[in-house]
Amino acid sequence: MKKVCALLLALTMVLGMASAFADEVPTLTLWCIATESDANRPAYEAAIPAVEEALGVKIEWEAFENDSYKTKIKSTSAEELPDIFFTWSGAFAGDFATAGKLYCLDEEYKNYTADLPEVMLQNSTYDGKHYAVPLTMNIVTLFANMDLLKEAGYDAVPTTYDDLMACCAALKEKGIIPFGCSGNATWCVTEYLEPIIEKTIGYEAMNEIFAGRATWNDPAIATAVDTFQKMIIDGYFDPDGLSLDNDTVKANFIAGKYAFYQNGSWNCGEINDAEGNFQAALFPVMDAEKATYGQVIGGPNDALAVSAASKNPELAAKVAFALGKEICHYGYLAGSGLPAWTPDYDTSAVKPLVADVAKMVAESEGMVLFGDNAMSADPANVYLSYVAKVYGCEIDGAGFIEALTNELQ
Amino acid sequence: MKRTFTYKLNIFLFLLPALILFIGILIAPIIMSAYYSFHEFNLVANTDMEYVGLNNYRILFSSMLTNPNTGKLYANSMYLGDALAHSLILAALSTFIQLPLALIIALKLSKGIRGERAYLSIFFMPVLISTVIIGRLWMNIYDPGQAGLLNAGLRALGIDKWLFPAITSRITSSKLPFTGQWTGFRETALLAAFIPILWQYVGYHMLLMYAGIKGVPADLLEAAQLDGCTEGQVNRFIIIPYIKPILKVCVIFAVTGSLKSFDLIYALMKDTSRAELPSTLMYKLLFLHQRYGLGSTVAVILIVLCFLFAMLISLAFRDKGAKVA
Amino acid sequence: MREVRKFKPSNIIVHILLLILVLINLFPLYWMVTFSLKNNDEILGYSYVDEATGERVLVPPNHVGLPQHWEWGNYNKAMNTGNMGQYFINSLAVSTSVIAITVIASFMATYALTRMVWKGRKMMNKFFMLGLTIPIHAAIVPVFTILSKMKLLNTYAALIVPYAAFSLSMGILISIGFMGDIPYDLDEAAFLDGCGVWKIFFRVIAPLMMPAIATVGIYTFLQCWNELLFATIFVSSGKYRTLPVGVQQLFGQYTTDWGPIGAALTIATLPTMIVYILLSKRIQDSFIAGAVKG
Repeated sequence: MKKVCALLLALTMVLGMASAFADEVPTLTLWCIATESDANRPAYEAAIPAVEEALGVKIEWEAFENDSYKTKIKSTSAEELPDIFFTWSGAFAGDFATAGKLYCLDEEYKNYTADLPEVMLQNSTYDGKHYAVPLTMNIVTLFANMDLLKEAGYDAVPTTYDDLMACCAALKEKGIIPFGCSGNATWCVTEYLEPIIEKTIGYEAMNEIFAGRATWNDPAIATAVDTFQKMIIDGYFDPDGLSLDNDTVKANFIAGKYAFYQNGSWNCGEINDAEGNFQAALFPVMDAEKATYGQVIGGPNDALAVSAASKNPELAAKVAFALGKEICHYGYLAGSGLPAWTPDYDTSAVKPLVADVAKMVAESEGMVLFGDNAMSADPANVYLSYVAKVYGCEIDGAGFIEALTNELQ
Repeated sequence: MKRTFTYKLNIFLFLLPALILFIGILIAPIIMSAYYSFHEFNLVANTDMEYVGLNNYRILFSSMLTNPNTGKLYANSMYLGDALAHSLILAALSTFIQLPLALIIALKLSKGIRGERAYLSIFFMPVLISTVIIGRLWMNIYDPGQAGLLNAGLRALGIDKWLFPAITSRITSSKLPFTGQWTGFRETALLAAFIPILWQYVGYHMLLMYAGIKGVPADLLEAAQLDGCTEGQVNRFIIIPYIKPILKVCVIFAVTGSLKSFDLIYALMKDTSRAELPSTLMYKLLFLHQRYGLGSTVAVILIVLCFLFAMLISLAFRDKGAKVA
Repeated sequence: MREVRKFKPSNIIVHILLLILVLINLFPLYWMVTFSLKNNDEILGYSYVDEATGERVLVPPNHVGLPQHWEWGNYNKAMNTGNMGQYFINSLAVSTSVIAITVIASFMATYALTRMVWKGRKMMNKFFMLGLTIPIHAAIVPVFTILSKMKLLNTYAALIVPYAAFSLSMGILISIGFMGDIPYDLDEAAFLDGCGVWKIFFRVIAPLMMPAIATVGIYTFLQCWNELLFATIFVSSGKYRTLPVGVQQLFGQYTTDWGPIGAALTIATLPTMIVYILLSKRIQDSFIAGAVKG
């Protein structure tokens, strides 16, 4: 009896010690946008336990819906920010960095220079200092449902504008809606509009405008907007899209309701795995004198930042890099993004659609960051409000450039 | 002397909790907002307050002005004019559609109809449901796809065949055809927002009016009936004048309520710009544009509007007989 | 008028019209509960290829009917995303605290405004009534700054304090009506017995104000149970998140999956509905009392 008692006592002590030990595991908080329906969810679900295991930390994470996250993270006071949080690079993270809310990552980055090319940090570098860990990079991709294209007599995605318009007309003839685009989330409209503008005025000119160094007052932009709007008015877009959200539009495309869906390359995995025959392409050139087919919209855009108010910033920075690397790894394999980190794992299992887009990036002839990330909050939202009006056909190209010129310069 | 002092101290102590809350959370913010409205700053970036004078007011009001050189509105994405117009329309719809409807139901129910209590309970029920939930529920009802209840109903009845083209021909803000995107067009979005408000609050006003009508002295009604008044005459000459104070409260609630409404629009549509109200505009300027001075200016305009309307309504209801609360 | 409840044909028409209104009132709720128990195939309709004929058969969505397959799993999904139980408790904790503070503060203020004689009390009353028209949202930036200076952001107090402040005017308005019904003789008798103002308030007036608690409570509850904007901005941690924010967040999680959204809507509506069905008469009476006294 005594022995049993002693054994029990010993057991309790061991358990107690174990639990006391468990309590000592440092806990870090993480906010991101990888909600249940987000393409990045599986990458986070795989990466977080792996990092917890490897670094002996506990990560308490929470995911928020994309649009509400933007307001939430911006209205959270410095002390309330989680240790690590998802951010878009470009001006979005820049607002935090200039406010002194981000922990500088230069010190920690020294350990990762071999795995993470410095060029990938370019969009989150302010005053020569690195402030965010890139996860994946993405470009705007034109996804095509080849089965529907075949019904209209096309075996390949059209690579010239005239051909694309002829294809749309043929699709419409067959009763197939060529494009789907959500008007509920304006960033989805930019996924259509920005490539069209880029392919009209060229990537250098567009970068100048987004950076505020050139004016919007360029008749070529008006032409591009009118081109986009003509496609809408000609009925090449699902009219319901005006009040559908992006996930519904994507689901419609996968279900075979639309022939094309132009959106970020993070959708590759999901579309690749869906039933059907899908291909990835780029929007064709509008003005061959100024743009080439290989110019893309996108860049290393998704990133993790460390709060300057974190109680344990060195550890948070370490975890952020480890997480970044793992999320990139799993995300690339799952097809929710292209790698910002140089892969040190077997990439033969990468999905075909992802490999296609990776090739486009490798061969890209110029890149422009997504407009709403390239500009800081105020101009970005002015820009978005007019993009919404373009999709609703409330203003035309001339009105668009006039409004943006007046308000942003 | 000491007595009056303790008496005064006691008055102060009794008022203290209310005063702290009221001044600290309501009055001070109004003054602070007014101060902010002459400045521009960024709460996230912790930037210093920059004095900009009347510039914020100029930006907002210029969006309502016409440029004399071009004859067009000054291009401006702030749409204060839209927001004000929308809130006026919403207030008018609430006052002239919602309240009469509530009054008719209240008059009928208060006359002792079988099951009046059950009717009352059911009509009042939506008042207790969270506005966020009502917004989301109606978002699903308006869904333009297969699942949307409203469009499915219209399709089943065959109404869509003539209704949708008719709406399309009325839409001037856009060149797109109307195919059931109720929240997608300027012309329909505000109405789409009004229907759930009506659905939710008609029971609220009805119950208030019902209570008022029940308070009408029975002898007054009997005397009128003995004089051979018809039901309509009783309603018009006895009941409605008697419940005037309650009607006033209802009008104030309906009007300031529509100026204040935010949750519903926010939950009903992700892009609020087509049914923009001062409150949603303020939210956008603060938390999307990160322009805290400009957003505070909208807040000031909103507060002034609410006061203005409350005063106008009180004036409109002021007459010899009725006491003004 | 009640006695002359004769059969009138016009009454039938009235009943029919009222029943139509009842239908309009209840149908969206019925629809919500039914789609919370359906799967997407049933909600959106689907198509399949008939193996016998090789033709594509379209199955239209089932809008009105009861679910063919009862998807109770939707409720599991809704409950397991976020922490609905916690959010519910948070909302309850916030609401009850707000009601308690509002009741105490407005009773005390009302006592000073109506039972104590002093210059300027009419002005003070008007001052408090300003709060009835001030829109709560318009104060968000200053209140944010104040709360942040007091280190109250991300606590229950971040919501309780502003909600109580914004419920105060209505609370005082209702309390004035109720306190006016208490005879002044009682105060005088107590005064002659040697009671001071505090004793009169706590021993004589407060116990008689019990019925007012229900009325003030209901108005206050309506104001703070549903509030979304303050709750979104002032509280960032899930620990203190309230139900409307939690529900709103859940909508972001399941954008295309209608079932769990319906389930979340139903879960968030049910508790208030149950309380209402049990107490509907009392709630209505308290509500009416507020309107009449106000």
